[in-house]
Amino acid sequence: MASIVDVPKPRVNCSMLSQHINRPVCFVGRVEKVHPSGSAFTLTDGDGKTANIELNEPLEEELSGVVELLGMVSNKGVIMATTYTILREDKGITFDLELYNEALKVIHDFPQYYPFEMAASG
Amino acid sequence: MSVRLTAGAIQDLITDSEVTNPVLQCLKMRQVANTSGPTRYRLMMSDGRHSYSSFLLATQLNHLPENNLLEPNCVCKVKKTTTNTLQDGRRVLVVIDMEILQSGEEAGGKIGDPTPFAADGKSSPPQSLVSSTSFSSSPAVPGPSYRNNSGYGGGSAGKQIGKVSPQCGMETSPMKASPMKTSPFESSPMKTSPFKASPMKTSPFKASPMKTSPYKASPSKTSPYKASPMKTPPYKASPSKTSPYKASPMKDNSSPAGSSTKVIPIASLNPYQSKWTIRARVTNKSNIRNWSNSRGEGKLFSFEIVDESGEIKITAFNKEVDKFYSLVEQGKVYYITKGTLKVANKQYNSLNNDYEMTLHANTSIVPCDDGQDIPAVHCDFIPIAELENKDNNDIVDVIGVCKSAEDVSRITTKSSKEVSKRALHLIDTTGKVVTATLWGEEAEKFDGSGQPVVAIKGARLSDFGGRSLSASFSSTVMINPDIPQAFLLRGWFDKVGFKLNSQSLTETRSAGGNTRINWKSLSDIKDEQLGHREKADYFSCIATVVYTRKENCLYKACPSDNCNKKVIDQQNGFFRCEKCNREFPNFKYRLLLSANLADFGDNQWVTCFQETAEVLLGHSAETLGQLRDTDEAAFDEVFQRANFTAHIFKNRVKLETYNDETRVKVTVLEVQPIDHREYSRRLLSNIRQLAG
Repeated sequence: MASIVDVPKPRVNCSMLSQHINRPVCFVGRVEKVHPSGSAFTLTDGDGKTANIELNEPLEEELSGVVELLGMVSNKGVIMATTYTILREDKGITFDLELYNEALKVIHDFPQYYPFEMAASG
Repeated sequence: MSVRLTAGAIQDLITDSEVTNPVLQCLKMRQVANTSGPTRYRLMMSDGRHSYSSFLLATQLNHLPENNLLEPNCVCKVKKTTTNTLQDGRRVLVVIDMEILQSGEEAGGKIGDPTPFAADGKSSPPQSLVSSTSFSSSPAVPGPSYRNNSGYGGGSAGKQIGKVSPQCGMETSPMKASPMKTSPFESSPMKTSPFKASPMKTSPFKASPMKTSPYKASPSKTSPYKASPMKTPPYKASPSKTSPYKASPMKDNSSPAGSSTKVIPIASLNPYQSKWTIRARVTNKSNIRNWSNSRGEGKLFSFEIVDESGEIKITAFNKEVDKFYSLVEQGKVYYITKGTLKVANKQYNSLNNDYEMTLHANTSIVPCDDGQDIPAVHCDFIPIAELENKDNNDIVDVIGVCKSAEDVSRITTKSSKEVSKRALHLIDTTGKVVTATLWGEEAEKFDGSGQPVVAIKGARLSDFGGRSLSASFSSTVMINPDIPQAFLLRGWFDKVGFKLNSQSLTETRSAGGNTRINWKSLSDIKDEQLGHREKADYFSCIATVVYTRKENCLYKACPSDNCNKKVIDQQNGFFRCEKCNREFPNFKYRLLLSANLADFGDNQWVTCFQETAEVLLGHSAETLGQLRDTDEAAFDEVFQRANFTAHIFKNRVKLETYNDETRVKVTVLEVQPIDHREYSRRLLSNIRQLAG
């Protein structure tokens, strides 16, 4: 069975979630709130909108700052995350979420120039 | 071919009823002399039913009579008029737009049998008002010349019913007892010599330059068609131009009788009216200045005042200085009367008024307690983005939030004077930023913390660094002024403005000596044939190093300062420099690196001299020289590391000829690390631009 990492995952923000239901996506956002159970949290994207994230296993570490996660979008628009990466703010240049959002828009506005889907094959 | 006149139109026009494009016949026309400014034409128009002689032609239509398009008996379509009511209730209609439908010849003569329209509704003409010579005679009388009829326009009459002889020569008719009924112009001239040049001093007719003069139409009252030049030429086409066009201009012309209670707006002050009172606040008061020149010596002080209509500069000399200097205080409101008006000297006066005032012995300045409705300051703020369209050295008013301010610095001027200056960066709702310079005490006192709203009145625009502002001696700088624009700006800035990554009109740092970085890609070098012109081209690009030539990248150079010439190894432990003509026991290593850069479009061989090569390789020339002799592997490593690194390169490209061969040579002037965010933003904006 192909794991999520072997499959092309379009980068999305909150407004695009509805178009990717039941599909694997890559979501980058800033951590807003973490549920006390540690199995769910919310992220805000570059537009300021919020996405709900759910994990299979509860978090083991403190989550803060900008995070990139891979997961499937559920029917209800919640991202069932399988893996995540924290983009640390203390190392390198701070991640500019607004700029990332602008880039996302460009990628989705001109898919003919950004054929990510095909890139993954072979 | 008969054209129908719009019957009843005269009545409608005068009573302000709606009438669209009425067709009227011009029965008579007369030139009214104007001492300064264009001639005015007074017309008598008829709608077939009524005639009315108090029609004035707006000066922009003067070409119609001048080119004989408008002539007696011609039929016209009056497209736009405006009405002026005189103090006694009579109305004058100014024709602002009119089209000639039929010439006088074609019309053939007077159409219909119009009776003079009386403002009070009576349509029958009370016979000759004043003097018999008026054309108030019976219709049968063969065209009495359109005499001026002093009573003309006195609300009634004297409208000529008779045939109008085309000659509009209003000569001076023996109009004596002119029915100066209610006109304030009963000033003497009338009485003494009927139709002489009546120096209607008090007439509110302002000379044409007074753009803001309220239109007063009363000349008819005094001596309607005086050939004599009234000093104060009656008809100004003011309605079209100015706002202070007041429906009852007479009101403003308060003081013919010297009444001091009626106040006129500053905007209506002019040299032709001497009895007026204004009420205004002092916005700026200067110090007393003494002068002495070949003609003598004296002292003066000046101050600027403002009221709701505008502002004006006032100067007092010698004796008046003593009288008024201590009385006049900045910020206070005063009633001022009897000053002399003259045309403003724009060299010293940057205010928005054609005139300026001088105080004299009879001037009176009285403090006024009730100054609430007088604005504290009168500014016409120009949006920062529009400063680009203004000319260099213009005086402007600007308001903006001080985004940032530099520290105060002291500089020595050409005249060896030390002066402080401080640069502020102002931003406004247009999103543009401009640098404003403050001088002297203002520069020292300025506190830019908290990003205050700064308003500068009378700042000088300069083309330093593109566009920048300077607060000159006569400018007024206000921090967080108590005016509505300031609050608007504050609100805008706090919500939106502070985030804006705005474009400055003043480029303080210029990459390459010019204002903008010239971004190109390597393929553009060939496509645009960069460097092919007489002068070298400069451009910046983002590229990756793909190859560096490590052989021959180092050379031994002359150790003296400023001399980088390659030295000749004389093999005896000495090195000779041809340029300095000296021998040295030592040398310094210098880099001369040949590298190949690449981007998505193309490759390009470039040359990097000492400074840029050191940045690229990350080591100094000396170190590399040492390394080359000692540790080969480490030396190679340096070059390997540099490979496939990307940077921002600022380059100079030129077509050069070497031994009959011309090649495009590129030299790297500066190497900078890539600012990814700035690069991304630029790419995004390019994408959006290309997408259209």
